[in-house]
Amino acid sequence: MSKSTVDVPQRGGFSFDLCRRNEMLEGKGLKPQIYRKTGTTIVGLVFQDGIILGADTRATEGPIVADKNCEKIHYMAPNIYCCGAGTAADTEAVTDMVSSQLLLHRYATGRESRVGTALTLLKTHLFGYQGHVSAALVLGGVDITGPHLYTIYPHGSTDRLAFATMGSGSLAAMAMFETKYKEGLTRDEGINLVCEAVCSGIFNDLGSGSNVDVCVITKGHKEYLRNYQLPNPRTYVSSKGYSFAKGQTEVLSTKITPLKNNLVVVAEGEAMEE
Amino acid sequence: MSIFEYNGSALVAMVGKNSFAIASDRRLGVQLQTVATDFQRIFKIHDKLYIGLSGLATDVQTLFQRLVFRHKLYQLREERDMKPEAFASLVSAMLYEKRFGPYFVQPVIAGLGDDDIPFICTMDSIGAKELAEDFVVAGTANESLYGACESMYKPGMEPEELFETVSQALQSSVDRDCLSGWGGHVFVVTPAEVKESTLKGRMD
Amino acid sequence: MDLNLNMNMNAPHSMGTTIIGVTYCDGVILGADSRTSTGMYVANRASDKITQLTDNIYLCRSGSAADSQAVSDYARLSLELHEIQQGRPATVKAASNIVRNLSYNNKNRLQTGMIVGGWDKYEGGKIYAVPLGGTIIEQPFAIGGSGSSYLYGFFDQAWKENMTKEEAEINSEGATKNFYPGDTLPLWHEELESHNSLLEIISSVSPVPMST
Repeated sequence: MSKSTVDVPQRGGFSFDLCRRNEMLEGKGLKPQIYRKTGTTIVGLVFQDGIILGADTRATEGPIVADKNCEKIHYMAPNIYCCGAGTAADTEAVTDMVSSQLLLHRYATGRESRVGTALTLLKTHLFGYQGHVSAALVLGGVDITGPHLYTIYPHGSTDRLAFATMGSGSLAAMAMFETKYKEGLTRDEGINLVCEAVCSGIFNDLGSGSNVDVCVITKGHKEYLRNYQLPNPRTYVSSKGYSFAKGQTEVLSTKITPLKNNLVVVAEGEAMEE
Repeated sequence: MSIFEYNGSALVAMVGKNSFAIASDRRLGVQLQTVATDFQRIFKIHDKLYIGLSGLATDVQTLFQRLVFRHKLYQLREERDMKPEAFASLVSAMLYEKRFGPYFVQPVIAGLGDDDIPFICTMDSIGAKELAEDFVVAGTANESLYGACESMYKPGMEPEELFETVSQALQSSVDRDCLSGWGGHVFVVTPAEVKESTLKGRMD
Repeated sequence: MDLNLNMNMNAPHSMGTTIIGVTYCDGVILGADSRTSTGMYVANRASDKITQLTDNIYLCRSGSAADSQAVSDYARLSLELHEIQQGRPATVKAASNIVRNLSYNNKNRLQTGMIVGGWDKYEGGKIYAVPLGGTIIEQPFAIGGSGSSYLYGFFDQAWKENMTKEEAEINSEGATKNFYPGDTLPLWHEELESHNSLLEIISSVSPVPMST
């Protein structure tokens, strides 16, 4: 960007323009900022026909709940989904990027994406940034070679597992898996165990909360069960709510701009011939 | 003291029936010293799309200029205005590009999309999108705003009621924040018109 | 390893590891534990630290999980190309030198020690240790990882040339893989004759009467 006088859109990659300035500001004693994190419980397990992923829906910014019902199970490919924990911007960016690479790869090869491909793309990106892109992921999917479940750490290490948990609620969730998981669970047993594990994170970990999202992936089929359980309904809704009389707020000036609605563009001349 | 608190700001956007409101305070300070009382942090991108930028004023203005530039490029190429969803993705991408040396801003985006369906969203300073169906807040008064909006918001409000609710939520919140205040700017956008109001507020 | 009790879950994934490679009459035996930890938390209790590089060459990984996985992935890539170009299976020496070059060229960025072991028709079973800085050492047996300090004494005492073993072996017949759950691991000290106390040993020897 420094090369051109005009601020043309960059082609990609990170820009470090402001690093020096921000370092100077931090050096002057200004606190570094908090990014939006997903203090999270994300889980996944292998059941008899495939993979079940689960996640809570709370996004936090320091101690504040920034979003009470966010989506943490990200789409990677029609047969692959990925739960994200860590800095929200990083999990979002990294999964979006890889899912578009997978789509291009599908167009090029004409074959269904494999979980191993997604895994390699994710881990090489994360390893390249040496843990500075802080995305902790649970990747699950079913491909031609069967069901696969992996955890991916921000530094780029991966583990292949039968049941996995991640995020700040991972210990609470792992406790449920370690006591109740067995091989060859049925679909219903699997969903119930995933819900139990996520709920254990929701109720025992302060960074996790609100609802349970579930995603079931089987061969040639998937089901995204958004807000599968709502264990924390609102308890403080007033039936009437606040109402303010018109003109209660003191206004200094008002400007009303009518919008030119339904602007009809009249094409001039003859229509182009085919 | 965080860099976000250097100038002070309060921003809120709320959804009504086929409409939205976006509001901010008017103070610009340098830490505890007030410098201006008519500062604009809500900007028009096009008739039905607004962006509010909270945080460090220098970055607010720089980022806005870059956004206008990018939107104009889009208009020239596509011969149409950007949809709010696309614009939100643009802002998110521009912020994430500076992942390791960010702009100190937290944007609030509000617009009317296809068939005049309202869209609101906020982000952190590195572009983690948060879409909402009810309201979004940002700035130094965000904690108070969360509380106020959480209790005052009702689904499906008509433009007049939406205006009152947003204004009251903003005013009551900035009164509990030293770094923002001095009245407010409120934009209520319906498919037919934009009502831009300046609010009277406490001057302490 | 981070031993203070605040569980630092953001710590890089690393392996408090014990890895072993031993040569014997017909080939080599590689061994590893299966624990991966982040700080004090066991992130994976069934991890596989013995990674396959080619049909007849395996790699034991220790240190940072991310680093060692990256090195082994690159090594596998190079070896696959190497085998295609040469039209024959890679030798253990070639494989371990590829690992060594990766380790040496990036020594400032890598926190990983590895043991390469395998069999080829030219030199038979071979073990190469590639420790932290990227040196390469051909050894009759190699131990590595944080747990290896407990093993030096045992190996110095127990290792003999041309041993025979029937467990997990890599030789001309190919590789087999055995997994032992933690509670059924054979423990070497169980093979020793048990004694209740030192006194028993001392008293079993009849005291020599003092004489002048």
